[in-house]
Amino acid sequence: MMRETRIRRLPMALSALVALALAVLPLPAVVDAFRPDFLVLVVFYWCIESPRAGGLSLAFFSGLALDVIHGVVLGQHALALTLMGAWATNLRLRIRVFSMLSQCLVVFALLTGYQFVLFWVDGATGNPVTTFSRWLAPFIGALLWPVLLGVMGKVHER
Amino acid sequence: MVAFRSTEASGRTTGLLFRCVLYSLLALALIVVDKRYDNLGKIRRLLSVVAYPVQIAVASPFEGWHWLRDSVTTRDVLRADKTKLEAELRVAQFRLQRYEALEAETQRLRALRENTAGVTDRFVIGDVMNVDLDAFRERVLVDKGASDGIYAGQAVLDSGGVFGQVARVGQLTSEVILVSDAAHAIPVQINRNGLRTVAVGTGDTNRLKLPYLPTSADVVVGDLLVTSGLGGGFPAGYPVGTIAEVKRDPAQSLADVDVKPAAALDRSRELLFVWLKPQAAELLPPPKPTPVPKK
Repeated sequence: MMRETRIRRLPMALSALVALALAVLPLPAVVDAFRPDFLVLVVFYWCIESPRAGGLSLAFFSGLALDVIHGVVLGQHALALTLMGAWATNLRLRIRVFSMLSQCLVVFALLTGYQFVLFWVDGATGNPVTTFSRWLAPFIGALLWPVLLGVMGKVHER
Repeated sequence: MVAFRSTEASGRTTGLLFRCVLYSLLALALIVVDKRYDNLGKIRRLLSVVAYPVQIAVASPFEGWHWLRDSVTTRDVLRADKTKLEAELRVAQFRLQRYEALEAETQRLRALRENTAGVTDRFVIGDVMNVDLDAFRERVLVDKGASDGIYAGQAVLDSGGVFGQVARVGQLTSEVILVSDAAHAIPVQINRNGLRTVAVGTGDTNRLKLPYLPTSADVVVGDLLVTSGLGGGFPAGYPVGTIAEVKRDPAQSLADVDVKPAAALDRSRELLFVWLKPQAAELLPPPKPTPVPKK
């Protein structure tokens, strides 16, 4: 058991790092609003795939990394990711037997919840972002979920 | 269809609720402390050092591409550039002839008013890092930080005019908030008649607003806006933008004025961090020699 969890940490950390890099990759301004939350998807994947390897810790620290990189209030993304990561962990057994379409819908709900927590903290700390385009990211993210499953499955096989 | 393979997930995750509550409370505590007490500057500075490798890793391919493109330009292009730059330099030198005299005159006049605020002392040039911060906020990351003496609130200019100010300082990097950010405001005056007001960002890179001018205010399209130096954050007299549109609705008491920023907010890659003289004398060690820009 111990050995298994230790083996699983490396792809976890690596995929999180790659997703973090994708989160700051410069994109043209037009495409930027459509950028899906890669790191969030990766965290969800690990929460569902192997919750006992520390999916929730991954969620918290990934969120902290996003806070630092985005330069927002420290703890904002950490809070959102922790809550939604816990929800994903809670739903994991059901998600695993869902069809791909239902999986995407669940992921959409999770991503929307994530955006909502961010939105709420933004408002509560006094710098609201009111553009509607922030609600696009959950859509794109949910559409990307099957692709991510494929890629992560490949990573996992190694 | 199911792509998950481990059987481990079917086990119980003991204490999920406990850990969730713990982490959430931790995150909430961080938010409150960061927002209310602003005590996390040090921690944030350290964390930004940890984030630096990721940012460098993302930015370096683009830097490499720029470098490659620069290094394979042909001789002809370089010659053309050189001729153009020489011509520009001649014009600039011609304009500069009067500068010393004008500067001295300004100093005298300021001394008369016992007001030396807004005179720049020294500057440091920083490069914008090829990293996207937040799609919904107008911010850029620059490769100069606390170790270069950058401080929060410092004025940042580019070759066209006022670019923004330092929002947050890391050890090696700093975050600059653009004048066009919706949370940014800068004291300005109209160069033609000295009318003072505040220019507020809109969240749109190519537009600022003057929301506090009465309908009867003397503004016309094309007026140059310069910093007024009031508030002490920015040096006085640097261009902020030109008036692009003035909408006067007689039913409203305030005019609706749009400004086109003078700085190339979406294109500039080299930024000038400036120190103001009075503050510099009090707060900073004796000025180091100004670093020469790389190019």
